[in-house]
Amino acid sequence: MLSRIAESMFWIGRYVERAEDTARILEVQTTLLLEDASGDEESTCRNLLSIMGVGAPEDQVVDTALMLELLAYDATSPASVAAVLGAARESARRARETLSAAMWEALNTTWRGVSSGQFRQRRGATAYHWVCDRAALVNGTADATMTRDEGWQFLVLGRTIERADMTSRLVATAALAAGQGAPWTSTLRACGGYEAFLRTYRGLESERGAAEFLLLDRLFPRSVVFSLNRAEQCLANLESTGQRAGFQNEAQRLLGRTRAELEYRSLSDVVADLPAEMERLQRTCALATEAITRRYFAGAEARDWTGVRI
Amino acid sequence: MQLRIVHTTGFEYDGKATASYNQARMTPQTTPEQIVVHTRLEVTPPPWTFEYRDYFGNEVTAFEVLDPHEQMTVTATSTVHTQRRRAPSPTLAWDDLRTPEVADRWTEYLAMNDLVAPPADLHERLAAIRRDAGRPGEAARAVCELVNAEVEYQSGATEVTSTAADAWQQRGGVCQDMAHLVIGGLRSLGIPTRYVSGYLHPQADPLVGETTPGESHAWVEWWDDGWHGFDPTNDLEPGERWVVVATGRDYLDVKPLSGIFSGAGTSSMFVRVDVTLLA
Amino acid sequence: MTPMFEDYTGSDGPAFDEMFDGSSLRAPYERLRDSLHELSVPELTGRLEALQTSYLDQGVTFDIGGEERAFPLDILPRVIEMDTWSTIEAGVQQRVRTLEAFLADVYDAGQVFEDGVVPRRVVATSSHYHRAAAGVRPANGVRVHVSGIDLIRDDDGEFRVLEDNVRVPSGVSYVMTNRRAIASALPETFAEHRIRPVASYPQRLLAALRAAAPAGVADPTVVVLTPGVFNGAYFEHALLARTMGVELVEGRDLECRRGRVMMRTTGGLEPVHVIYRRVDDEFLDPVHFRGDSLLGCPGMIDAARAGQVTIANAVGNGVADDKLVYTYLPDLIRYYLDEEPVLKNVDTWRLGDSEARDEVMDRLDELVVKPVDGSGGKGIVIGPAASRSELDELRRKLLEDPRSWIAQPVVQLSTVPTFVDGELGPRHVDLRPFAVNDGQRVWVLPGGLTRVALAQGELIVNSSRGGGSKDTWVLAGTGTAGAAVRRDHVESAHLAPPQSTGPAMTDLTSQAEQQQQQRQEPDVPTEGGAGC
Repeated sequence: MLSRIAESMFWIGRYVERAEDTARILEVQTTLLLEDASGDEESTCRNLLSIMGVGAPEDQVVDTALMLELLAYDATSPASVAAVLGAARESARRARETLSAAMWEALNTTWRGVSSGQFRQRRGATAYHWVCDRAALVNGTADATMTRDEGWQFLVLGRTIERADMTSRLVATAALAAGQGAPWTSTLRACGGYEAFLRTYRGLESERGAAEFLLLDRLFPRSVVFSLNRAEQCLANLESTGQRAGFQNEAQRLLGRTRAELEYRSLSDVVADLPAEMERLQRTCALATEAITRRYFAGAEARDWTGVRI
Repeated sequence: MQLRIVHTTGFEYDGKATASYNQARMTPQTTPEQIVVHTRLEVTPPPWTFEYRDYFGNEVTAFEVLDPHEQMTVTATSTVHTQRRRAPSPTLAWDDLRTPEVADRWTEYLAMNDLVAPPADLHERLAAIRRDAGRPGEAARAVCELVNAEVEYQSGATEVTSTAADAWQQRGGVCQDMAHLVIGGLRSLGIPTRYVSGYLHPQADPLVGETTPGESHAWVEWWDDGWHGFDPTNDLEPGERWVVVATGRDYLDVKPLSGIFSGAGTSSMFVRVDVTLLA
Repeated sequence: MTPMFEDYTGSDGPAFDEMFDGSSLRAPYERLRDSLHELSVPELTGRLEALQTSYLDQGVTFDIGGEERAFPLDILPRVIEMDTWSTIEAGVQQRVRTLEAFLADVYDAGQVFEDGVVPRRVVATSSHYHRAAAGVRPANGVRVHVSGIDLIRDDDGEFRVLEDNVRVPSGVSYVMTNRRAIASALPETFAEHRIRPVASYPQRLLAALRAAAPAGVADPTVVVLTPGVFNGAYFEHALLARTMGVELVEGRDLECRRGRVMMRTTGGLEPVHVIYRRVDDEFLDPVHFRGDSLLGCPGMIDAARAGQVTIANAVGNGVADDKLVYTYLPDLIRYYLDEEPVLKNVDTWRLGDSEARDEVMDRLDELVVKPVDGSGGKGIVIGPAASRSELDELRRKLLEDPRSWIAQPVVQLSTVPTFVDGELGPRHVDLRPFAVNDGQRVWVLPGGLTRVALAQGELIVNSSRGGGSKDTWVLAGTGTAGAAVRRDHVESAHLAPPQSTGPAMTDLTSQAEQQQQQRQEPDVPTEGGAGC
């Protein structure tokens, strides 16, 4: 498969997942703000922005409206759902001949929902649900129509790395909001994992349990460990060298080590400083992305040529 | 005469070039008056090469260097045996130039472009030559004489991209400019004319076995029921010291080395030609 | 008269209207009229809107100055009868065979010049005559793998050739998408016609490209080379790559190594054997052409010269679709094929001929003047529509460089009923049939792209000038696609085993039965029970 196309597939996976997870995080946070009138709107919004890696304007009051602009509606803000869906569609346009027609249409129609202004008109939960529905449609269409070739592996690789990264941010937001409403419950709900969590922990709700579930559960598809496992599997499928010892692939090594550390360290250590732990995880995802780019996508950029003659 | 020519040229890059694709026209032609006994083209770093004959019948070596390199050197070594007959006297009449056998057959060598187009004041001189010449061949000779008399040979006076008009303006230039001036002048009179690139042994009476620094050279050929060569720079008919490498409409068709590279910022080029009379 | 076509009276000028001959209906449109009888204007408007939305969702777009726009598609198809089509098909095939012969000759011995059929000057002065392509020999002799021959219908209804396109003709993707869109917008009408299908185009093209592979390559790798996502025809490039099942590459995906073209894949470099390129000659290879081009790949021309890769269409084809060479086409058909042209040219004056020039200069205000190497309607001046100062400006340009211009009479392109702003009206159309040459046979896609000028009276149909398109129906025979025809092909299917169902389904669907069983239970004891 062409390196350039592989790169597009990888980023389609990441962007669609990012749009969905951003919507899920926004749903938790806006619900918390609504439920707990005593909370400090400004600091909640600033915290959220910094967890999402967005520098908040210093000289301006950061309220919910501004936060939503930056993370949802403003297509010029790179972290916004609108921008991310645009980027997903643009990546798809570049890989269009590789995508199934249905998959392309799902992405294109989604983007048209943004570019036509419909997305902005939706507010609150309906907007977030719309994003999740569209992501489900894209993922479902991909699942139902794409052959399980390299393109698929890169798509899932992108999706799972992004999911590990975003779940870690979701966990970080919950940790920061501790003591304010019931952040873990809404976080679990936003992941669609609340019922699964209750069944797994037999109704014993605890922060520690929720963190464990979101980070380490091997069966819950949005957990960090589950996502890292899938990403490792994709990389193994892509390599398939039959190598019997060690890992040639830098990305595989990075992701595997981080997953193992998470799984084998005591939960108390991990939970002790959740925000710092989560940042470490996010850095790993970034490093793995760089390694994947070097390994598979290198040389996809255009070269400059200079003419000479004697 | 048997001559050995060693033509070394290349680029020095500012930094490392990661890839480079080139075309060299440095292999002399074999013609009835010139037999190539031996020829070799060497490139460092060693490239992949491919040879073909271009539209104008010139021997081209295409090569690619895909390892990072700071310098690329091309060395063409040729041994050529020359034996020139004296050119026949002018045969075609002015009216013959208008027939399709000349005007349409050689239409490409009649086309004007900015590189060769004569400036306005040269046009007047050309018109006078046209009036006085009985045959096109005589006019051609007169135009060469005019260019040789008016334009002084000055190394470095012009750039490789200079036009005939530039050289005429400053009454100075190199062999390339003189050839372009004659080409433009003759074409404006309806005489098909082409550009010749090659080598010249610089000494009128060379010693056998002595290696002399020479230069790439350029002269012209016009159609007079056959191609008729003349060297306006030296105001001479090419003799056995002249070696033809390539012909074309103008310099751009016969560039000894052209190509493109990627990675490095800029490049500078170098050229060296050594000529030895072997026998 | 049906409500639909009640107010439609055909062309209001001298132009040939394809539906009405004065007040009487022409044969090809009878069935169309009858089947649209039931449809009201609001309903048609509704279907048109649905069609436009579906085009936007599918991304059937073209770019104007970086802006993506949906390609306007008129809801009413254009209908061409089989007999008329046969002539077009034969004419296009003849044209392509001639252009192939001409190109092979021009880039080789040039016998056509020696024999005085075309002056060498005509070719030597063409900006598309690429001397770098001399010596590149196509593997199976084909240079015009794909062509689009633009036709118009004159005032008498006769199809004539307006221009040939043998470089990178575009538009075939719209032929395919238009057909799908109209078939779903007008299913009743569609079903009542027997229309020759267009969907096989990608397979035909792929077969022709594979046939053109370098000698000795048994299973060639074919790619489509696109300038990139910002090119106006990117949609088409992607569609063709997808429907042929080949990679869509950009210049940066390619690299020449040891005279072979390779593509960069996740598994390293892989060889490419046939490049269906949608990049213009000048941008293909910076070694030979524009050194600043990033769209191509250096070394590609020499790889083709070495016989390691086939570039389709061949480099340098532009010399054959030059508008000046066009004027010689009837002579070339006679010269190479010893046949009379099936399709005539539009009358054309060469400004380079001094007699013609004098005549044209006198009649500038009644002629159409075109630059010989323009495309997309660029530079065309329509005399009757031009202002005094535009004509003076044109006159100056013509005298400066007569070789670069031709002139033609204003031909009123034929008109076809078109649905614009809720109303039916006559609009001018042309037709671009596409031909694919696999070296054995020139195959003409039945249909082609009908471009329509959406403004009333407008004669320029290019999409860059606000034109749209129409689905073009070539009828297969005169019968309907009626029941009789279909029944032949219907075989009753073998009865497969029933689908498995789970308990919930059983619960839902067998209630009635259960009730019945309950009712019957007392009366009819089960056999097992009886034995107890």
